[in-house]
Amino acid sequence: MAQVSFICKRTVVSTKPVQPGKYSSLSVLDRVMERNHLLVVLYYRSKRGREVGGITKKLRESLSETLTSFPVATGRLLKDPKEHWMIKCNDAGVRMVEARAKGSVEEWLRNVDREQELKLVHWEEMFHKPYYWSTFYVQLTEFEEGGLAIGLSCTHLVVDPTCVTMFIKAWADTTLGGKMVSPPLFHPLPPRRPGNMTIGHKPYTPLINHYKSFIENPPPLAVALQRHSTATLTFTDQMVKSCMDMVKALTPFEALAALFWVCISNVKAKKNGSGLTNMSICSDMRKVLGLDKGFFGNCMVYNKVHMELGVQENDHQLIKAAMAIKEVVGEMDNEGIMDLIEWLEHNDNYQYSPPLMNGRDDLICINLEGVESYMAMFEDGYKPIRASYYIEPTVGEGQVIILPSPAGEGVLSRVVMVTLLEDEVVKLCKDALLMHFSPTILMGVK
Amino acid sequence: MPPKLPEFSNSVKLKHVKLGYQYLVNHFLTLLLVPVILGLLVQLLQLGPHEILNLWNNLHFDLIQILCSSFLIVFVTALYFMSKPRLVYLVDYACFKPPVALRVPFSTFMEHSRIILSSEPKSVDFQMKILERSGLGEETSLPPAIHYIPPNPTMEASRQEAELVIFSAMDLLLNKTGLKPKDVDILIVNCSLFSPTPSLSAMVINKYKMRGNVKSFNLSGMGCSAGLISIDLARDLLQVYPKSNAVVVSTEIITPNYYQGKERSMLVPNCLFRMGGAAILLSNRGSDRRRAKYRLLRVVRTHKGADDTAYRCVFEQEDPQGKVGILLSKDLMAIAGEALKSNITTLGPLVLPASEQLLFLVTLIGRKVFNAKWKPYIPDFKLAFEHFCIHAGGRAVIDELQRNLQLSAEHVEASRMTLHRFGNTSSSSLWYELSYIEAKGRMKKGDRVWQIAFGSGFKCNSAVWKCNKTIETPVVDGPWFDCVDRYPVDIPEVVKH
Repeated sequence: MAQVSFICKRTVVSTKPVQPGKYSSLSVLDRVMERNHLLVVLYYRSKRGREVGGITKKLRESLSETLTSFPVATGRLLKDPKEHWMIKCNDAGVRMVEARAKGSVEEWLRNVDREQELKLVHWEEMFHKPYYWSTFYVQLTEFEEGGLAIGLSCTHLVVDPTCVTMFIKAWADTTLGGKMVSPPLFHPLPPRRPGNMTIGHKPYTPLINHYKSFIENPPPLAVALQRHSTATLTFTDQMVKSCMDMVKALTPFEALAALFWVCISNVKAKKNGSGLTNMSICSDMRKVLGLDKGFFGNCMVYNKVHMELGVQENDHQLIKAAMAIKEVVGEMDNEGIMDLIEWLEHNDNYQYSPPLMNGRDDLICINLEGVESYMAMFEDGYKPIRASYYIEPTVGEGQVIILPSPAGEGVLSRVVMVTLLEDEVVKLCKDALLMHFSPTILMGVK
Repeated sequence: MPPKLPEFSNSVKLKHVKLGYQYLVNHFLTLLLVPVILGLLVQLLQLGPHEILNLWNNLHFDLIQILCSSFLIVFVTALYFMSKPRLVYLVDYACFKPPVALRVPFSTFMEHSRIILSSEPKSVDFQMKILERSGLGEETSLPPAIHYIPPNPTMEASRQEAELVIFSAMDLLLNKTGLKPKDVDILIVNCSLFSPTPSLSAMVINKYKMRGNVKSFNLSGMGCSAGLISIDLARDLLQVYPKSNAVVVSTEIITPNYYQGKERSMLVPNCLFRMGGAAILLSNRGSDRRRAKYRLLRVVRTHKGADDTAYRCVFEQEDPQGKVGILLSKDLMAIAGEALKSNITTLGPLVLPASEQLLFLVTLIGRKVFNAKWKPYIPDFKLAFEHFCIHAGGRAVIDELQRNLQLSAEHVEASRMTLHRFGNTSSSSLWYELSYIEAKGRMKKGDRVWQIAFGSGFKCNSAVWKCNKTIETPVVDGPWFDCVDRYPVDIPEVVKH
C-alpha cells in the first residue's frame, strides 16, 4: 500500500513585493462561509524516467510567479472596525508542504479511500492569532514510480470551489507558458441592477429564511465529527442522458441530484423511517449575477429544496424530486440572490457565533459542474487524471458533490463524490436504483 | 529678509575663501615654480642669442664624463622603474543576484519567527523592532534551508548555498571577462562562517577544473572586512608574480549561522544578514590596462584586536541553552568609531590633498601647544574621493559614518540602497554598492572610490580605487539592472507592518 512521507514545510512568497497598505474586504457571501474550508486534490501522470523532486522545484517557482497576481491569497486575515473579517495584503505568502509517496499514481488511485486521499492535502485550523495563519496550503506529493498529486486547501472565507480551480488553472498556465490566460478579478459583489427592480417586488423569502435559520441557530464552535466516508462514482454520458430523460431534467445536476436524493433517502429510510430526507442545494451564482467566471471570491449560494410530503417508493418519487430541484434552481434568479445579499448586508452581526452553512440536518447537493479542473495542465500533454473536491467539515446528513468528468468521456458524463456515514456509503453503493445507471466506483470504502 | 541674508552671504564668502585656500596650497609648487621659470626665461632672453651660443660652445665635455653621466641617468631610471610597485588593475567583477523565489518579505520573516519561537514572544517582538528599524527592504533573500518551518540548516544545505552563490558569481565573471578557468593564476575565497573540508577554494577549483599550480587561498573567520583583506592579499601576491591574474571570491554563507535560540543580543544577525556574493578579477598584466575598470591605489588595514573590548565586541559563542550564535556587544558603535579614526589617520596623509593635511596639522599643533579647546579639524574626505562605499553593516553604521565624515545623502546613497535591496551581505556588500554607483551612471574616468569595511576582530579596512574608464549605462549584467530605476527610495525610520 502506498505510503505518504512528509519531507518539509515552507512558505512560498510572490516574486514582486505587494504595495504596502493594501486591504481587501470580504463580501457577505464570503463571510457567511467562515467555518468551512475546501480541499482539492488533482492527480497527474508524469513523464517516464523523470527524476523525483524536479517537478516540485519547478512548480514552486511558478507558484511564486502566480502569487504575484493573487495578493489576496498571500495576505492574512484581520478584523475591521466593524468586527468583520477582511484581508490585509501583507505579502506573507502561502504554506507549501512537500511529500513523497511510494508506488505510482495509477496504483494509488486504484486503492485509495477518503482517509488516504486526505493525506495528500495539508490543512491547519485557524490559529488563535489569525494574523500569522496562512489561508492557503499547497501540498505537492511526488510518486516515486511516477505521478504527481497537487493538494490545495484553503479557507472558504476567501474562496469558493470555482475560484480556487481558477487559481490552480492560473498556476498551470504560468508553469506551462508563462502567461495567465484568464487573470482573476477582484471586486465587491455587484449592486442590484437599477432597471431590475419590479414594482411591488416581494423579496425572495424562502432563501432569506434558509440563511436566517442558519445564522440564528449556529451549531457550537466545537462540532463533534462523526466517522464519514466518501465514495467517488462516475456516470457515463449515455447513463446521464437516460437519467435526464427519465426525470425530464434540464441539466445533469438536476437529474443526478434528484437520483442521489432518492437513493440516499432510501438508505437512510431503512434506518430512520420513510420519506425523503431534507435537502439543500448549493450552486455557483456567477452567471446569475452577471459576473465573469474570473471573479475571485465566494459566489456559491445554498437553498433548501421543498418537497411535498408523501411516500412513494417508485419512479414518481424520482421525477417529483427532480421537479422540486428544478423549481428551486429556477427561483434562484438575479432578483432572488440580490434580495439575499441585501438582507445579509443588514443582518451580519454574527461575529461571535458564525453559521455553519452545511451543518445541521440537511443533505447538501453541491453543483460544481462548471469547474474547469481538467483544464489545469502543468506540463504539455498531461491533463489531470482525477480531481477530488471536499468541502469540510462534513456534518449533518451528508454531502453530494457533482463534478465534471475528464475530457473525452462525453459532454454529459459526470463524477459524483458522496460523503455519508461509513455504513451508509457501503449501502448506497449497492442501492438498486443507483445501480440501474451503472456507475463505475472510482473510490469506494475499503 | 535682512536676518537671513548675512548668513547666506557669509557662507558664500567662506566657501570662496576655502576654495581659494585649497587652490593655493594644492598647487603650491606650481605657483612657486612658474614665477621662477618665468624669471629665468626673461633673463635668458635678455642675454640675447649670441651669448647663449657662446655659453653652449664653452661647455667642454669629455667622453668619460658623458659616458658616466648617461650611465648614471640610465641606472637611476632603471632603479626607479624596478622599485615601483606593480600596478594592480581590477579588470571586472560580478555580483550574485539571488533568484526571486528566495525573497523574504518582512511579514514572512516575522511569521516564521512567531511560529518557531512561539514560546518566546518577547524575543519575537525584539526581532520585529530590529527589522522595522533595520533599513532592509522587501526584496532581500535568505537561502532555501532558512525558508523551512522549522529551518533546516544541514551541512548539505550549506554546501548547496555555497555552490549556488559562488558558482553563479564565477560563471558571470568568466562570461564578462572572457577569462578561461585554466588561466587563473591566483584564487582567493573568503567566507567567514562556513569553512568545510575541502575548502571552498578547492570547491571552485574542482568545479572549474583549474590548473594544478594555481595558488589557492581560503580565508575564513575574518568577518565582514575579509573582502578587502583578500584584495590586499591578492595585491601582495601580484607584486611577487609577474604577468598574473587573481580571482577573489567574497561571500557569506547564511545557512549554518541562523541563530535558533532566544537571546536578544544574538538575534540581530538573523534580522540583518542576507544572501550575497561577488567574484572579482584582478590583474597586473599590462595588456589588461586598456579594458580594466579600476586601478587599485591603496589598501589600508587597521586592527584593534589588541584591545580586549574591541576583540570581544563581535563574538561567536553558545547561549545558555547551548545554541551557537554571534553576540554583538553594546559598545559596537563606539568601537567602530575608534577603528575608523585609526584607519583614516593612516589613510589621510596618503590620499588627502595638501590643503587638508596642512589644516589638520595646524589645528593639531594648535590644540597641543596653544589651546586644547580648539575644535579638532575633520579633514574633508570629499576632496579626496568622488564616491564612497561604506559596508552596509546596518543602518546605524552608515548613519555613524555619515555623521563622522560629514558626508551628504548622495555619498551614502549607494550604501543605504544596497542595505535596502540586498540586506547585509557581509564582505560582498562593497561590490553591490560599487555596482549601484555604476548603474546610476555616476562613475567617470579618473573618479576615486573609497571602500570601507568593518569586521569582527575588530578591524577596519579601506581600499582606494581609481576609475580607469567611464562606465556606460545601462549596466546590463549587474545586480541592479532590473531595479535601479526604482532607486533611490525613501527609507522610513520605522517601517510599520
